[in-house]
Amino acid sequence: MSVDNEILKELYRRMILVRFMEEAHDRLLREGKFQLMGHFGTGQEAVSIGVTGPLRREDILFGTHRGVGEFIGKGMSPRDIWFEYMGKKEGLCHGKGGVHLCDRANNIPGLVATLGSDFSISVGTALASKMKKTEQVTLYYVGEGTCNQADAHPSMCMAALWKLPVVFAVCTNQFCELSYMCEHYPTQDVAPRAAAYDIPYNIVDGQDVETTYEATRTAVEHARAGNGPYLVEYKTFRMSTHFSGDPGGYVNPADLEEWKGKDPIELCRKKILERGILGEDEDREFRGGIQAEVDEAVSAAFAGTDPSVEDLFKDVYSREGVI
Amino acid sequence: MGRTITYSQALNEAMAEEMRRDASVFVIGEDVRVSPFGQTAGLVNEFGEERVLNTPIAENAITGAAMGAALQGMRPVLELMFMDFTMLAMDQLCNNLGQWRYITGGQYSIPLTIRTACGGGMRMGYGHSQCLESQLIQAPGLIIVEPSTPYDAKGLLKAAIRSDDPVIVVESKKLIFGGVEGEVPDEDYTIPFGEAVVRKEGKDATVVALGFMCYEALGAAQELAGEDIDIEVIDLRSIVPMDKDTIFGSVEKTGRLITVEEGRIRGGVGAEISALAAGEYHGLLEAPVQRVAAPMVPIAVSPALEDLYLPNKDSIVRAVKRTL
Repeated sequence: MSVDNEILKELYRRMILVRFMEEAHDRLLREGKFQLMGHFGTGQEAVSIGVTGPLRREDILFGTHRGVGEFIGKGMSPRDIWFEYMGKKEGLCHGKGGVHLCDRANNIPGLVATLGSDFSISVGTALASKMKKTEQVTLYYVGEGTCNQADAHPSMCMAALWKLPVVFAVCTNQFCELSYMCEHYPTQDVAPRAAAYDIPYNIVDGQDVETTYEATRTAVEHARAGNGPYLVEYKTFRMSTHFSGDPGGYVNPADLEEWKGKDPIELCRKKILERGILGEDEDREFRGGIQAEVDEAVSAAFAGTDPSVEDLFKDVYSREGVI
Repeated sequence: MGRTITYSQALNEAMAEEMRRDASVFVIGEDVRVSPFGQTAGLVNEFGEERVLNTPIAENAITGAAMGAALQGMRPVLELMFMDFTMLAMDQLCNNLGQWRYITGGQYSIPLTIRTACGGGMRMGYGHSQCLESQLIQAPGLIIVEPSTPYDAKGLLKAAIRSDDPVIVVESKKLIFGGVEGEVPDEDYTIPFGEAVVRKEGKDATVVALGFMCYEALGAAQELAGEDIDIEVIDLRSIVPMDKDTIFGSVEKTGRLITVEEGRIRGGVGAEISALAAGEYHGLLEAPVQRVAAPMVPIAVSPALEDLYLPNKDSIVRAVKRTL
């Protein structure tokens, strides 16, 4: 499976950007410079970037707490993310969302705090697209841990029943918070659950960004053509802990060692070099440019404005005087 | 000119008129095509199955789905058949629905209306009879109204459907099943949120009642009039926002306050009004506030027990007398 060189270079850029964004977050936490807890997605960048790659701007994305991958992939800028992460007024949610990123211009309607609440919300946005006869597809990006929420089932049921343009993109990173997946699942895979609702599904390697991109493109085209929902499960491995500062100790070191050799960015880099898309020096410069972009965004956010007491009471209701 | 219609017809007309007026309005819920209690009956004939959408039995998920549609500019009217069932949707109602606008910094509004039927007296027992308004008033960002007449039902539901904020319209089963009638104007109208209405003027005590309890309060007023006690009866209509001016304007006149609701007493709507009375409006009271509400017990199916549970005219009369 191979994608166009220009697309591959862009997917490579986004994956590096995600990695650098999360590394910066981790560094700032360790340095005690800010407090927002991090839920990093190290090692699963080919999934978050591959699943968002085929989406159009008008398509709708529901993402996860696990890092910034899908938000970067859907078009959010590092600046917009950092302003929000630091709780600044300049953030798109004026600092009220923080990790719950929302970017209306890029059709990211927000991120729930209670895992899985958005399973059904994503079905609702797809329902609206169908009722309004738009070409929009909703992509619901979710971890395998969250797929055990009860709402997963009526959500898949409604999506299939009403033949809605929604793609369920399940990132199986082998961990459900602080437990191995096998402690939560009697099965190896999540995807076959889709068959119970007559939803077609596919299970693919989550380390190769070309594979994740192409598998998602197929699913998105299926949904956009009016054929109803589709579920894709991507197999990857979370190299980071559940949250920054979690107690750790639950990951088998042999697993970490094994998956280190399957780093999605390194895999992509090899292809980039092999295909002559970038040379070694160009690649170094390319990465340097991305790091500079992250550093600039972090500095800008540190210089941002804190919201005020007026902001505390603003935007609870669409009109004044209700509180 | 006006027409006399039932409470249920008023709700039905409100939905039909708003669906005619705005193509983004649609009805969604369990069995809304047939409509077990009749509020949405017949809508499918005029608007088709696409705009009158039957759902699986999954309250939290259908609330999420309606919310998602509203995020994309639709104006769903979701039915959660019994108010007891709203407890199955608490995650969406209290964690997401009312807070979404705020946490997105005003990027998204949720123009979603949720209708739900509350109240006992039907011998339906513990899980089909409750009034659970107090479970919802803690959530920021929701508007909560409870009409007691056909006029209010139609006007408030139409206002809810046009609102950019999520609105919960609490309907009373006794008013739906009881076929209570009232006049509505022929022309289009809405009722603003946050406006209570004085159902009966009086000078001796202020009774603030919610939903069906307004009728019990009016019954109490009649009985007390025989003893030369002249109470003012206020129909709260809107729980959030609350019309403090009308309530405490009345208390300023009477010096006495009695709250009446069918929900349970602990942490109830009456408790909220009492707290306002004890705090912001302390100087107005000439007697301790009395709360008439249901006791902290489940609702039994036994008619004898349910009748003992429900607040009524007699308990209101007794409460009024305690303030005099």
